[in-house]
Amino acid sequence: MSTFEIRYLLFSGYTSMLSIKDIVPAALNNITTQFILLDKGKVATEGQSKTCLALVADESAAVHFQFWGEECDLFKPGDIIRLTNGIFSYNRNHLLLRAGKRGSIEKVGEFTMTYVETPNISEMRWVPDANNSKKILLLGILEPFKKQR
Amino acid sequence: MASKLLQLAPHEAENHLELSLRQAFQLLEPKLRPPFPLKILTSDECPDLTRAILYGALTETHLAKTHIKHLHATVSDGYVLFVNLLARIVNELYDKLAETAKTQVLWAAGEMVDVSAVGFSGLLVSLLRQIVGGDFGSGNLWLCFEMVSLFLGKWDCLLEEDPLILTSALYNFLRLLADHCRATVDSRLDALKRLEIEFCVKMLREQFGLCLKFGRDLIRLLQDLVHVPEFRAIWRDLVSNPREFGVAGFLDVAQIYSMRTSSRYFSLRLTPEAETQLRFMLTHVKFGNQKRHQTWFASKFFCSPERETLIVDIVRFICCAHYPPREIIHSNTIPRWAVIGWLLKSCRKNYVEANAKLALFYDWLFFDERVDKVKNIEPALSLMVHSIPHYIELTHALLEFLFLLVDNYDMEQKDMIANRVSSSFTLLINQGLSRNLENLTSGEIIPPPLKEKLRCFLSDTRVGTAQEIQPSKTLGHLIPMEVGTALPEEHLTDV
Repeated sequence: MSTFEIRYLLFSGYTSMLSIKDIVPAALNNITTQFILLDKGKVATEGQSKTCLALVADESAAVHFQFWGEECDLFKPGDIIRLTNGIFSYNRNHLLLRAGKRGSIEKVGEFTMTYVETPNISEMRWVPDANNSKKILLLGILEPFKKQR
Repeated sequence: MASKLLQLAPHEAENHLELSLRQAFQLLEPKLRPPFPLKILTSDECPDLTRAILYGALTETHLAKTHIKHLHATVSDGYVLFVNLLARIVNELYDKLAETAKTQVLWAAGEMVDVSAVGFSGLLVSLLRQIVGGDFGSGNLWLCFEMVSLFLGKWDCLLEEDPLILTSALYNFLRLLADHCRATVDSRLDALKRLEIEFCVKMLREQFGLCLKFGRDLIRLLQDLVHVPEFRAIWRDLVSNPREFGVAGFLDVAQIYSMRTSSRYFSLRLTPEAETQLRFMLTHVKFGNQKRHQTWFASKFFCSPERETLIVDIVRFICCAHYPPREIIHSNTIPRWAVIGWLLKSCRKNYVEANAKLALFYDWLFFDERVDKVKNIEPALSLMVHSIPHYIELTHALLEFLFLLVDNYDMEQKDMIANRVSSSFTLLINQGLSRNLENLTSGEIIPPPLKEKLRCFLSDTRVGTAQEIQPSKTLGHLIPMEVGTALPEEHLTDV
């Protein structure tokens, strides 16, 4: 490997990848994770932008992901996607993972990833911790949403 | 100003192979312009300079010759690194290469053949694998044209340096020609087909001894071309006049049946990406959870009806070039027979399905314990047995097809083939690979005529040394079984 390749690989090692099952809702853009795109829903509009809801997953769990704008058309089921500085929060009562204003997603591969569809962390119910308002606790698992297709 | 090496879509991540080449180029760019420094490079500096030269050769078309001269002057490893990097670019990034870069890759490959660079055969194989059988797009046809021209143009050098690469090329072009002949009449293909025919006929007529090295699949491939006049002539000679080919000891076309084809040929018609995805499916995807991966694979590789022809090559590959280790076999991973079942069901064209079944059963017809591997014949029986009861039509269809092959594949060798199929069954049963075989023979599962025939094969136990193949004593009766191959007139309408 060249010095350049080694430097590149070391860099990717510094950012810690979260498993989807370990993602908790927060108003922070600090989620770096990698997943495979399973299904894409219909494209809708939210204000000025196109949005598209999708089911994504890794070996630990699944989650609903929201694509914005151009992303809606570029990514296809089977794509392996790396999310950097993403956010997992409520959008109209729906708990969604997305890149947000400060995050980004890119396609890093295709096909070669196994996944599970349950648990789906978007379908989990969280409540604030009575002792610490900054923390939230997992309460239970909701009935799965009937996804719009 | 160098053009870009890759054409990435806006959402695709940077590729670190391309990045390493580009960074080396940017760092060393001043040193790439003549006059070149004459000092000897340290072993640390050589790899980065090689990377820089490679990037320059692929992106600076007008300076490419200078870059290559620089490489010739500084090379100290027999071009190993240059060739390996070029092969990696082809294997990992070919689809994403800018158009001019693709042209440069072909040109650089030719240069490497000319200097007999170490590893040039691997590079040529990488390029051959990027030619997609049922893809009639201009880019793919261009690559095919360039490669067959390269093999014809550098024939003498290749024959001297690495004759086996010519057999790999023969496998490729025989297979591609069959697909090209099935396409609707298209003038772009005419020139290409002429070159493919020229190469294949040259190999068969001038280097038949070399052609024999690839074994019985040579017959399977030649059968698909029997309607092409030049190949009809070759068949006539193979059957009636084997000595015409000038190979000592080759007296009968049936001798070719006893030669098992090496598994390395079966990956030649799969792109590295298709191979990676198939092996991933057979190694990591759980049985029961395969639907999405199968859908993704099909939409990528069988997206149009012509591209379905790949199924034949994949079936052969799975049977003969992918052997799951014991831990995988005993785990919950999707087994080979299940993937083959899905592939057979995916066939929309009859001739593809027939050729896929032939690929599945091919080694059954000539199985010889001394040279053949049981793992090559296991998937077919497992598929037949596990399809009971939910997919019983598939079991019927496969059994019927197998018996049809035994009776019709080679009329002269009918007894030998029946004997070999019998020992295939017996060997598999003895290995405990099909405990459910009773399901096949008992009960009402399969119709009486099939059941009777199956009983004949199962009772005809002749385990041990396979019978020697008897040479045909009469001439001209070896009619190649045109299994599923359409007659020439049908080609025009069958797309």
